[in-house]
Amino acid sequence: MIQITGLTKVYRKGAPPAVLDLTFDARPGLVTVLLGDEGAGKSTALRLMLELERGQGVTLFGDRPYHRLRCPEREVGVLLPGPGDGPSMEAGHPGCKARSHLRMLAAAVGVPARRADELLEQTRLAGVAGQRLRAFSPGMHRRLALAAALLGDPGTLLLDAPTEGLSPRNVEWFHSFLRSFAVAGGTVLVTTRIPQEAAQFADRVVTLDRGRMVADQPVSEFCRTRLSPEVAVRGPQMARLADLLVSQGAKVRREGGAGLSVAGIGRTEIGELAYRHGIMLHELADRVVEQPAPRAVLPAASGRTGHLSLQSQAEAEPEQSTDRNADQHPDQHPGKPSERRPDKPSGRRPGRSFEAARRPAVPEPASEGRSRDDAAPPTRALPVASVTAVLPVLGTPAAQQEAPTPTVAVDRLFRDDPAPAATPAKAVEPTGAASAPAAPTPAKPPRRGEGAADLRTDDTVRLRRVGRSKAPATSATPTAPATSATSTPATPAPATPDDHRSE
Amino acid sequence: MRVLAYELRRLRGLRSTWLLLAAVLLCDAIAAAGLASRTPAGPLEAPAGVRLLTAALPLIPLPFAVFGAGLLGALSYGHEVRYPGLPASQVAYSRRVRLLLAKLLVVGSVAAVLALATLLLDAVAVHLALPRGVTVAAWADPAALSGQVSGALDTAGLSALGDLPAVFAPLGLVAGHGVPAALMVFVLLTVVAAWTGVLTASLTRSAVAGVLLLCALPSLLESGVALLLRGSGRPWSSRAAGPLPFRSGIEWAYGWVYGGAREAAAAGNAALTNPALLWAVATPAAVLLLVALLVQARRRAL
Repeated sequence: MIQITGLTKVYRKGAPPAVLDLTFDARPGLVTVLLGDEGAGKSTALRLMLELERGQGVTLFGDRPYHRLRCPEREVGVLLPGPGDGPSMEAGHPGCKARSHLRMLAAAVGVPARRADELLEQTRLAGVAGQRLRAFSPGMHRRLALAAALLGDPGTLLLDAPTEGLSPRNVEWFHSFLRSFAVAGGTVLVTTRIPQEAAQFADRVVTLDRGRMVADQPVSEFCRTRLSPEVAVRGPQMARLADLLVSQGAKVRREGGAGLSVAGIGRTEIGELAYRHGIMLHELADRVVEQPAPRAVLPAASGRTGHLSLQSQAEAEPEQSTDRNADQHPDQHPGKPSERRPDKPSGRRPGRSFEAARRPAVPEPASEGRSRDDAAPPTRALPVASVTAVLPVLGTPAAQQEAPTPTVAVDRLFRDDPAPAATPAKAVEPTGAASAPAAPTPAKPPRRGEGAADLRTDDTVRLRRVGRSKAPATSATPTAPATSATSTPATPAPATPDDHRSE
Repeated sequence: MRVLAYELRRLRGLRSTWLLLAAVLLCDAIAAAGLASRTPAGPLEAPAGVRLLTAALPLIPLPFAVFGAGLLGALSYGHEVRYPGLPASQVAYSRRVRLLLAKLLVVGSVAAVLALATLLLDAVAVHLALPRGVTVAAWADPAALSGQVSGALDTAGLSALGDLPAVFAPLGLVAGHGVPAALMVFVLLTVVAAWTGVLTASLTRSAVAGVLLLCALPSLLESGVALLLRGSGRPWSSRAAGPLPFRSGIEWAYGWVYGGAREAAAAGNAALTNPALLWAVATPAAVLLLVALLVQARRRAL
């Protein structure tokens, strides 16, 4: 169990923080992935956790910070990129032989040399154990580094970009290894840049954007909201449009009475098609929210604390559920799409200010969102086929994917607070939740339980306040926050805000 | 204990360690033989003998063994910086200090062994390479032996080194009056150089910079001390104020060894226990160690 609270790092005075108030948990039995672009602060966050860099915030491994661990190698295995960056990362001195390198580290850790040989077998390096490291490929270097991290037989693994620049074979090996490590009850915290990779082996995905946490989701939600390149279409003549789309070779799925989700064809094409055939559309939206769709909306100076994310989370929760209810009667908000739409694309744009992001710019999404899609690197545009291939592997229930317009709710969630961050539920214990990505997280965290009534009422009070201040967003749910606070909801999204520890 | 085992394994596992040691021994033997073959005929003076044994070429800043020990130390630390095996486990200050001390201990003892090995090898090489006309006084003449050696010989029941079989002839080179003390100082100097290598590399976090600093240290110290002494008007400063700080650096660094031997010829074995000498050798290393420990407190990695 790693509890990360309020990690903050500012390199220079006045410069934007490399990491700002990062708070989440990595729980045993789960693979937690720290996802973010280059320069998002993943490595800095990891180094801050290990106190390799000075900064603010506390990271508890079990019950003590890293430098207070009596024998850190036996509790936390660490794989940091070596001196060479990226693919050229080296595990050790090029003149060293793999076996002697590992035995040397075994001596430092205080385990017998036998353990080193065992690990060489485990990492499939036994055959080349007698070779010098200068003959090693990046994949072998990385595996050797992993073997070194595992020397003390730790229960926790912290890996910084372990699969970056490796061959698919090695990446696959790493994934399966980390998965099995987590299944055996270990805590794994990995950073990566590639959302698809995160979807493949994570149980929980924490998304960083420029040092700020923008989402903390279970992988099922992550896949649903960030990795499905679909277009949501809504309007009165959907049957006709569906026929047209199918004849164009798109995959069309009905959603509710007046909705379609279309895959395999671009949004502009759909729009054009509809326009040419005189079909009215009420909504036309990309569902592809692959890259940091949500954005840290709060200004940097506000010093986002746990309160805020606590409120927003708990508030967003009922909202989502009511949204689902509402979606079953789609005609309830036929006019809303135009108001809702702009949030997503504008949220994605990096340089946008807060106000701009909030301004409902009606004509924008179609043109701007499209151009962004074009500009996006091809790797990010995950084809539907591969998503559908990935999802079964993950054991994501198909129902999740077909849930009626969950993205709408998530959109809202992001708008109301981009770090909604389904904050991790504390309650998950290694035995129960091992590798159950889509399983509903236990409702009541122990912390809350022990925090007793005052905490609960605290939450309720806050939630009410926020509920009132954000009247339009939560108008339909005046009572829901209270209920959610008192009896934590049974929605699949992890409900339990844990941020009171930063208070 | 663990760090010692780690450091030993590290040194052993690297080919560069062995290459470096072999290169030092080889260069040392070659230089000693070359110097010895050009010795003028006649009895060999004790200081000249020391020069031959330590293979001190006038052109290089440090004798091979001293330089090699310093290089070993600097590489030892540079390895940790360049290829940290488990970087995260060096976060705690106590662990870093422990590793540093282990390095000093291991590298220091390796340096001492290296110095003794070079002396042994050089004694043989010099003995073989000395021209015919050169005589080593200590071999035949008991009066030229240093006090302790003659005492040891007495207890062994021998009157002179010449009574030993001819295989032991190189011993004559190291048993001269005041020579053992000077050689001890040489060994000490090698160890101190190895420590200095570790510590300078620790300060600069780079093996190359550490070695450069190590080479520059004698002359830097010398000019600094000379500046200080000039104020107090000691005669030593005038001698040190050569045109090249480099040359006077050599003078300063090894003057103790060779001058010590020369003085020892007059004053017996006083050289080794001369407090000024020990002070001069130990102070830079101690100051460096202190600075390195202080700097470590500011760091998060080695």
